[in-house]
Amino acid sequence: MSERGDRRGRGASEETTGGAPPSEDRARFTITVSRRSFLAGLAGLGAAAAGLALGVRVPGAEAAGATGAAVFAPNPFIQIGTDGVVTIVCHRSEMGQGIRSSLHVLIADELGADPAKVQLVQGDGDPKYGDQNTDGSSSIRGQYEAMRTVGAAARMMLVTAAAKRLGAPEARLLAQGNAVHDPVTKRSVPFGELAVAAAKLKVPAKPVLRPRAELVHVGTPMPLVDAPGYVTGAAKFAADVQLPGMLTAVIARPPVVLGKVARLDEAKAKAVPGVVQVVQLPAPTAPVKFQPLGGVAVIARHTWAAIRGRAALEVAWDGGPNAAYDSAEFTRSLLATVRAPGEPVRRLGDAAAALARAAKVVEAEYVVPHLVHAPMEPPAAVARMDGGRCEIWACTQDPQTAQESVAEALGIDKSAVTVHVTFLGGGFGRKSKPDFIVEAALLARAAGAPVRVQWTREDDLRHSYYHTHSAQALAAGLDAGGNVIAWRHRLAYPSISSTFAPNANRPSRGEVNQGVVDVPLDVPNLSVETGEAKAHARVGWLRSVCNIQQAFAVQSFIDELAAATKRDPRDMLLQVLGKPRTLGPAELGVEAKMLGNYGAPLDKHPIDVARFHRVIEKVTAAAGWDAARKAGRAVGLAVHRSFLSYIGVVAQVSRGPRGEVRVDEAWIAADCGTIINADRVRSQLEGAFVFGQSLFTHGAITMKAGAVEQRNFRDYPLVRMPAAPRRIHVELIPSEGPPGGVGEPGVPPVAPAIANAAFALTGTRVRTLPLVPVRPVRPVS
Amino acid sequence: MQPRSSAVLSAAAVRALCGAAAGSIAGDVRPRLARLVRFASLALFTACSGPAPGPAAAPRPSAPPAPAAPDKLLPPSAFASIEPPAARSQALFAEASRVLLHARCVNCHPPDDSPRQGDAHAFHDPPAVRGPADRGVPAMQCGSCHQDQNLPYARVPGAPDWHLAPVEMAWLGRSSAQICAQLSDPRRNGQKTLAQIQHHLAHDALVGWGWGPGHGRSAPPGSQVELGALFQAWIDTGAVCPAGEEKRP
Amino acid sequence: MKLDVNGQAREVEADPEMPLLWVLRDLLGLTGTKYGCGEALCGACTVHLDGNAVRSCVTPVRRAAGKKIVTIEGLSPRGDHPLQQAWAELGVPQCGFCQAGQIMSAAALLAASPKPTDEEIDRSLAGNLCRCGTYVRIRAAVRKAAGV
Repeated sequence: MSERGDRRGRGASEETTGGAPPSEDRARFTITVSRRSFLAGLAGLGAAAAGLALGVRVPGAEAAGATGAAVFAPNPFIQIGTDGVVTIVCHRSEMGQGIRSSLHVLIADELGADPAKVQLVQGDGDPKYGDQNTDGSSSIRGQYEAMRTVGAAARMMLVTAAAKRLGAPEARLLAQGNAVHDPVTKRSVPFGELAVAAAKLKVPAKPVLRPRAELVHVGTPMPLVDAPGYVTGAAKFAADVQLPGMLTAVIARPPVVLGKVARLDEAKAKAVPGVVQVVQLPAPTAPVKFQPLGGVAVIARHTWAAIRGRAALEVAWDGGPNAAYDSAEFTRSLLATVRAPGEPVRRLGDAAAALARAAKVVEAEYVVPHLVHAPMEPPAAVARMDGGRCEIWACTQDPQTAQESVAEALGIDKSAVTVHVTFLGGGFGRKSKPDFIVEAALLARAAGAPVRVQWTREDDLRHSYYHTHSAQALAAGLDAGGNVIAWRHRLAYPSISSTFAPNANRPSRGEVNQGVVDVPLDVPNLSVETGEAKAHARVGWLRSVCNIQQAFAVQSFIDELAAATKRDPRDMLLQVLGKPRTLGPAELGVEAKMLGNYGAPLDKHPIDVARFHRVIEKVTAAAGWDAARKAGRAVGLAVHRSFLSYIGVVAQVSRGPRGEVRVDEAWIAADCGTIINADRVRSQLEGAFVFGQSLFTHGAITMKAGAVEQRNFRDYPLVRMPAAPRRIHVELIPSEGPPGGVGEPGVPPVAPAIANAAFALTGTRVRTLPLVPVRPVRPVS
Repeated sequence: MQPRSSAVLSAAAVRALCGAAAGSIAGDVRPRLARLVRFASLALFTACSGPAPGPAAAPRPSAPPAPAAPDKLLPPSAFASIEPPAARSQALFAEASRVLLHARCVNCHPPDDSPRQGDAHAFHDPPAVRGPADRGVPAMQCGSCHQDQNLPYARVPGAPDWHLAPVEMAWLGRSSAQICAQLSDPRRNGQKTLAQIQHHLAHDALVGWGWGPGHGRSAPPGSQVELGALFQAWIDTGAVCPAGEEKRP
Repeated sequence: MKLDVNGQAREVEADPEMPLLWVLRDLLGLTGTKYGCGEALCGACTVHLDGNAVRSCVTPVRRAAGKKIVTIEGLSPRGDHPLQQAWAELGVPQCGFCQAGQIMSAAALLAASPKPTDEEIDRSLAGNLCRCGTYVRIRAAVRKAAGV
């Protein structure tokens, strides 16, 4: 695949930040590689070392440049000392997707360093690293070429230095294993001995990438770099950061978004031993964006005192504008909306007329409730003020946005805010939002001491940014031969945009590009329409976002069409997708400007039906689809493209000992283009299956009188080990195409695959999630 | 036959007390004493509401007492006039069953390996299992989570030695008659005498937890003391099980 | 009060009802044991008391007095308990937050049942949630450590 024309790779000597224009998926990338930034780069790396000096253990800052002098630093990502130690910065947040076990592999392979010997440093929030918003499955797919470029630039400079040193022509020298080799004379010079000379060279304007075949570790299973820290408890998450004199805050937040404190009596809270201070936080204004929700903070010497202190607060709340929200009523209004025509976003032919003349019409409505991320680590952040500066340690997916939000809240310049990124105990999109970090900053200032804000599990479930609540109505018209001649899809849900803009009241362009306008459908008459839905909850994004409900509906519906025509669901799916081809706006039936394609150009990442076919073929073969169905095993199939990757899933279910639908086994076939760490990709897909299984089986956040009803895992259950499949088979389809996303694409096809298998088992369709409704438990007082 | 409840009192004494009894039924602010007073008052009231005791009074037909309020237990004296004693015994057990069949009790008396929770007897979540000694399995022992008392913020209930009743003592899904048969059978009650069972019901801390379950859980009616008294009275009246009891093999 | 933590005598001043979790984390600086729910529903806080796995988020510290407390930091001197090794070899963790609790539960299981069946593993680890969904690998690592 040609690297030319890639707008992201920029060379040296450009002092301004160049890079791709802001795109839908926010994968802006900038490199400042001028000499002036050399020192700035060092300072950034040094911050981690300084953190060590303060006795603060910052994750990933293992002896960052602590030994040999860091003399060769051609860009913010790579540093080589005279001792030969290669230090690579991971500027993206580690939340379990394995970026800290992948990014340096790519850079090291391009550079010629041994990944096993790389010293890994976690980058603070800093624009010099370019985009650090670890979201949208974009770390590799958005920065693959840029990361290779930084490695290539460093390699070229080391080779140039070695050529001088060896008196050999550059063209025949090879950089690998932390040294430059001359295969003719068999002489080698280790990187450490080249560092000083290389540092004197100009950074190449157009670094040349190696042939793909020379990236020897890329695409293979590589070790989990942080395993030792995880299994010994040494890995530091946000709540593990302990500073001298640090206090802990637990906050009572308004139960309803945009609610306020009406009355407060803090006397009993203050009387709890260990409580130091009670502080009211400012109430947010609409639209909420990333503002904290307000409320009353109890600041104490340790977490238990803060928890007890909060429980002792006597607060009455003013409900505010969302206090009437009832999610059950809202379901009814969403369904009413999708039972009527909406605003078209995709159109071919005349769906209404085709439906009217169809020999058979199949209709179904699908409802997916609000969901919540519930990462095992509830949000937490530590903030410390130092004069006019603020220093933060947080489990953030987006440290630069955290810097901006803290700066705005404190009224200081962004450059006065340092954000250190700890390990994240899961993110799933929750920790992109810096509201909890702003809370810490505000309270550190109020307390005049470092403060850790600790969210409890109840806080995490009650005060989140929820996956939206949706209804969809699908109708298909079939001719006498069982061909689909008409397809109508109406959808309504509050948009994520509502959290940021006051009048956003229908699904946005970005959202319909997640499995609605971008789905290949070989149907001559189709209509996709959006309906209005106002938001009364704080709506945000959750692992794979609107692909969740849209893949659920489309892939379930195709299975329904198969049942209606007594066909094999795989055959029906292949028929609806149509023959292998790539689709552009015209074939899809959308306006060109409507098609977002995850911010990627269609020529580089086409919507390619052949790739859909391939994953269907692979996954059904792996699952023994035909034999399974013949033998009467209940299997279900779904395939979905999201974040530029194609994933097929087959789930097999049976009756459990209590009559429940048990997921026995799962097969996944994944075409993610070029991948870096095959084992991390595998683990993401395995984990995505369980994540999807949880949302199918249990996931529901409900709201009454504007407040979330769920409190803890008793009310929002997750799949536990006994319910997890015995085996999850993952087949990674080898590819040298451009990378697609990995963290999210595994989720959307799971719920429909299980639903389709459940239908095969029981004859009953699951159209409203979750499968098992759980009654919320209300604690007394 | 003389009405039993007034057998120890002279007719005149009963008449004297009847007037006093009417006043003291109204209630007393001190709960424990109030219960005792009520107990005594109702005993007298029962005696007083009958015809004046005298020699050779004809036996009255058995009249079951009016049910107590849902959160209260009738005391043994409420059953005093039920004849014959076997019928009284059965009625006493039926009243005690209002506790024994309550969710707080049957949830830990399951017929299988799964404790239940909640008033709808849902399977315990996380999925706890009985284990070889009714106390769970490694890393999922009852005591891994359940403490010796309820907790202020966490909803995990607690009492000393939290554990399941042996499977022989399954009550969930059983009838009052079946539970009675189980309690009366040394092979299925842990080789206990009825007196020992009464002591267990009246004094065991885990049993007593039922009436203080915490965090909004419903409690069985009455109190542990009252259950103990009912059970004792059942023993005293011959420990007769309700009709429909299983035949012993 | 005096506590025996990972073989060391530690002295803390704490309300006897304070959960052991917060004593370990906030007073003793042992942050390997995690807070995930505070209600004994997720298992992230699992430690050993005299070899028994307990959820420290609901265990009052008074219950730990006079017992041997072992946290993830003390499971093995060099981080090389067979479970820790198996976890690393099989690349079990994703975000890693639940894994200390998973390992402590698994260690209690193996101490009681050195060659556990699949069902025993599922039952003993049923109290440990993993949002990243690493269950299949956890099972494999327990079996590997147990040599089954």
